[in-house]
Amino acid sequence: MDYQHPKIREVAALLSAEERLARDGKAIVRAPELAALFAEISSLPADQRASFGKELNSLRLQLEKLAAARQSTGKGMTDIDVTAPFDQNTQEDKRPALLSSAVGSKHPLMIELEIVLDIFQRMGFKTVESRQLDDDYHMFSSLNFPEGHPARDDYDTFTTTDGLIAPAHTSTMQNRVLNKFKTNLETDEPIAVVIPGRVFRNEDLDARHEHTFYQLEGVYVDREIHAGNLIATLKTFLQEYYQKELEVKTQPFYFPFTEPSFEFALSCPFCDKKGCNVCGYSGWIELLGCGMIHPNVLSEAGIDPNKFTGFAWGGGIDRLVMMKYDIEDIRHFESGKLEFLRQFR
Amino acid sequence: MKISVEWLKAIGGKGLSIPTTELVERIGSQLGAVEGTVHLGAKYKNILIAKVIECTQHPNADRLSICKIDDGRRAKNVARDDSGYVQVVCGAPNVEQNLMVAWLPPGTTVPVTYNTTDPLVIEARNIRGQKSSGMLASPKELAIGDGHEGLLVIDKSSKPGDSFAELYNLNDQIIDIENKMFTHRPDCFGMLGVAREVTGIQNLPYTSPDWYLNPNTKLNPVGDYLPLNVKNEIPELVPRFMAIVLRDVSVGPSPVWLQSYLSRVGVRPISNIVDVTNYMMLLSGQPLHAYDYDKIKAQDKGADSATIVVRRPKPEEKIVLLGGKEISLDGPEIVIATSTTAIGLGGVMGGLNTEVDDQTKNIILECATFDMYTIRRTSMLHGLFTDAVTRFTKGQSPRQNKTIIIKSANMILELAGKSASYASDLIDTKDFEDTTICVSVAVDFINSRLGLKLDAVLMQKVLQNVEFRVEVVNNNLNVWPPFWRTDINISEDIVEEIGRLYGYDHLPLQLPKRSLKPVAKDALLDLKSQLRSVLSGAGANELLTYSFVHGKLFERVNQDSEKALQLNNALSPDLQYYRLSLTPSLLEKVYPNLRSNYVRNDDNEFVLYEINKTHNTVDRDKQKLPKEWESLALVFAADAKTANRKYLGAAYYAAKKYLSYILIEDQLPLSIVPLSEVAKTDLEINTWTWQLVMPFDPDRSAVVIDELGKIRGVVGEYASSVKQQLKLPAFCSGFELDITVLQNRDRVNKYIAIPRFPKVEQDVTLRVPSSLKYSDLFEFMWDSLNSDKPKDTFCTLGPIDIFQKDKDPDHKQVSLRLWISAFDRTLTADIVNDLLDKASEKAKKKFGAERI
Repeated sequence: MDYQHPKIREVAALLSAEERLARDGKAIVRAPELAALFAEISSLPADQRASFGKELNSLRLQLEKLAAARQSTGKGMTDIDVTAPFDQNTQEDKRPALLSSAVGSKHPLMIELEIVLDIFQRMGFKTVESRQLDDDYHMFSSLNFPEGHPARDDYDTFTTTDGLIAPAHTSTMQNRVLNKFKTNLETDEPIAVVIPGRVFRNEDLDARHEHTFYQLEGVYVDREIHAGNLIATLKTFLQEYYQKELEVKTQPFYFPFTEPSFEFALSCPFCDKKGCNVCGYSGWIELLGCGMIHPNVLSEAGIDPNKFTGFAWGGGIDRLVMMKYDIEDIRHFESGKLEFLRQFR
Repeated sequence: MKISVEWLKAIGGKGLSIPTTELVERIGSQLGAVEGTVHLGAKYKNILIAKVIECTQHPNADRLSICKIDDGRRAKNVARDDSGYVQVVCGAPNVEQNLMVAWLPPGTTVPVTYNTTDPLVIEARNIRGQKSSGMLASPKELAIGDGHEGLLVIDKSSKPGDSFAELYNLNDQIIDIENKMFTHRPDCFGMLGVAREVTGIQNLPYTSPDWYLNPNTKLNPVGDYLPLNVKNEIPELVPRFMAIVLRDVSVGPSPVWLQSYLSRVGVRPISNIVDVTNYMMLLSGQPLHAYDYDKIKAQDKGADSATIVVRRPKPEEKIVLLGGKEISLDGPEIVIATSTTAIGLGGVMGGLNTEVDDQTKNIILECATFDMYTIRRTSMLHGLFTDAVTRFTKGQSPRQNKTIIIKSANMILELAGKSASYASDLIDTKDFEDTTICVSVAVDFINSRLGLKLDAVLMQKVLQNVEFRVEVVNNNLNVWPPFWRTDINISEDIVEEIGRLYGYDHLPLQLPKRSLKPVAKDALLDLKSQLRSVLSGAGANELLTYSFVHGKLFERVNQDSEKALQLNNALSPDLQYYRLSLTPSLLEKVYPNLRSNYVRNDDNEFVLYEINKTHNTVDRDKQKLPKEWESLALVFAADAKTANRKYLGAAYYAAKKYLSYILIEDQLPLSIVPLSEVAKTDLEINTWTWQLVMPFDPDRSAVVIDELGKIRGVVGEYASSVKQQLKLPAFCSGFELDITVLQNRDRVNKYIAIPRFPKVEQDVTLRVPSSLKYSDLFEFMWDSLNSDKPKDTFCTLGPIDIFQKDKDPDHKQVSLRLWISAFDRTLTADIVNDLLDKASEKAKKKFGAERI
């Protein structure tokens, strides 16, 4: 078919080419080149619109027929040799290649997690990843939350119709980790494990609240471990992480699985306690919850709490990243927006 | 949990006169996080007590009065008459001569609007032609009560010009302590508990008020008893139920001091009876309830006494609660009832039918202990979160009830009319261990957990400060917690108590000792980290998407929602199911990113990938939990303009390129098999595999198969319906892999010594049937070259081109390039020719391949 309008002629040739039809199949009628021409109609001189539109419609009809014909002859989207490294009849410079490393990026939460894990690894902690779906026993019962205990209300958990739980904290791994590594204790090695993972809270989304976020749990058990060891360990980590001297302080807190329990705060590393936006001009940043592992939790994992004591802590990774880069909205993390992602290398 | 510093002082709290910031810091480090502090006094600054000297009708307004008030000439810059009185126009019906009132001089902010977005500042102005300086205030305006019908009448001895704030002790600091800290501390939900702790953390001894420790149980009923029968059918859920009847009370507003105590910590004053129950709850943590005696009696027609039954709900029972909400009682509830009718939801809220109102004459006061688990379930079920629920769910001590009910009754008798009196004995049904446990703990045990070296006497003192009984025996402490502490049961509880009261800031900061034994890396996390580096280095962008997806997404990508774990309490339909694979989540992000035109240069193309876990209802792991599949999904997308300019051929090969790249140029022992050739039974071997391949076009996709023949991944283009539903561009492909197949990936890399002699390079082109798979031909050639090559040589073989003539669709030509070299000599062209001849000859026999 011959088209009068040169633009239509050009697009017709492009779209009815074999390679293009093979790739697009019936979707050829929604090709952007065609859509662009349709969009042009309104900007044409009035006397040309009718003939342009008419030709365009017949082009669409023609493409539709072509695609249908291919499909009826079994060609449709043609079979390809999936074992080949590239498609046939393609010159080397038209074969898909890896994109430039200049546009590649890692997710900021994963970058930070790797930095954090590296420090703990250097401090002697093993890493075990947390689960994203767990049962009531690991999420609550093994952590000294009796069935129906009001302390469970502090964890707005998602539950599944088959009675499982989307873990609201990485502590859901504590019992497993204690069990798995308790043989260490017999050979005079401590249990020293950090547990990164994705956790969930049934919480409405806004700039500061996500229902999906990342936490890092730490567990340390040995003979004669005391609360001073806990504070020192966290302080050491934070000073390494921020590469500066910091002050730390604790506030008493309550978790069923630790006793005593603390909320742990550090002097603001961004303003050195002078007061800034990050610390809300308080000079302090409350970062994580921690405490000495409750004897019931140790016993539940088969560790004698009279012989061994330990500490545990848990904190959010998202918060670290938001503070580090001054990210204004936590929802960016799971947005999948390239504009956000490509800023992190 | 709001606490009033003045209230704490009034009940014997010590060490409270230090600056508030210091106090807040101490509370923060030794009791619990402070969420905020409000200086209450600032609200009442400038407000003066004034006496109404004269009160006349406003000439131009029926409802207004013109008052001359005496403020003792305290206010500055205010117009006064010759006698020094100030004129104020007032609309309150209760204003009259000689009334003592609260006066807001001009320039004062009305307290109820203080610190709001819309503060109201009272000035001197003309009201209907009469000068009015300042305002006489109602309880509501003073933020003390709800009453707005008349002025707040000063009910305490005072003189004109006194400070209102001082008179009612309102120069107060309200400190808000985070509730969570007190989850295991029922006593700290009362001012008494907080006063004790705040004193104790400053190493000062606290002594509870005498009425609290030694209640006067001698009641003096007057006249005939008002009979009340109490029957507790469920002592296992209600270990203690106490009640007492009071007669001839007159219900009215409570005194201003009491109202002001309630209002400063956020509780609305209602009436003297209800205010006393709330006051005592705020004081002790123990909720109380008052019923109208006569209304209870009237529920049981013809009865000559009131009956209270504590029981489980009856079938189809209902109750209308205070405030008018009706609920069905068919779950875990504890019901307070008469013989016939429910009158209260035990431990949660009273019933409307027996509410104390202005007409009430006789009341029943209840002070009971309810099972915390039952209260929690009831509260969650009906969405009722009352102050009583907050306290009962912390496990209030039943041993406190007697002292609380007696004090409450006495307060009511004081405040509710001269003729009020007891009308029953103290009724007490109970079933609990009324004994003090003794926790015996070694001093060394405590020190080893804290890393401290405290002596027994210091420990004893610290505990005695908060009214524990402590005995030191041979470096051992025998500790008897006071009756209000239900949280002290084991040695660790004593450790926490001493550590906190002594101060955690004294803890020695020592790192644990560790051995030099190296820590093993977690193989899987290490692999994930490697993959991130590899893929990001190859221009791909890592993203993270939610683990939960919409049911409709499954439909769009041909997956089966029946196989997905479903949430009971999803935030929205968008987040209702655990995803079956990562690919659909990634595909959802393609169109928005293409459209956003963020990629501003000419190439609107990108590669997204995610490493995450997926689940389904069928596949289980060793723990019988849903197996967590460790997945990597990647998608390559280019808009039409970019694809047409840059690429020829199928989009499939873009994804394949990335796949080959992470398989270290296909060196891993994995094979690629067309999806269309895989038997359905092999796909359905597990749910993961089956759901994994669903979004892909079977004719333009392949599966990744491991050495054992198991499917471990898929690579390809998406089914046309999927492309359409998710608005994918034509040039779009991807893969998804179980990444455990890549473990040991880093061990594949082998080194081959670099030959000193030059390589010989030669191409071979074979014409083969179109249906012959490239990999079959390539592997055949590779094997024959390797079996026939001369000794001490090594070769590399790579693809150059695949070509099909338009006129000959039944054949294709595959060009391969051979590089060969020897370690000890220069190879001649003959040898290479020979080698290729042999291989081609074999290929001819095998495939009918023709060398061109």
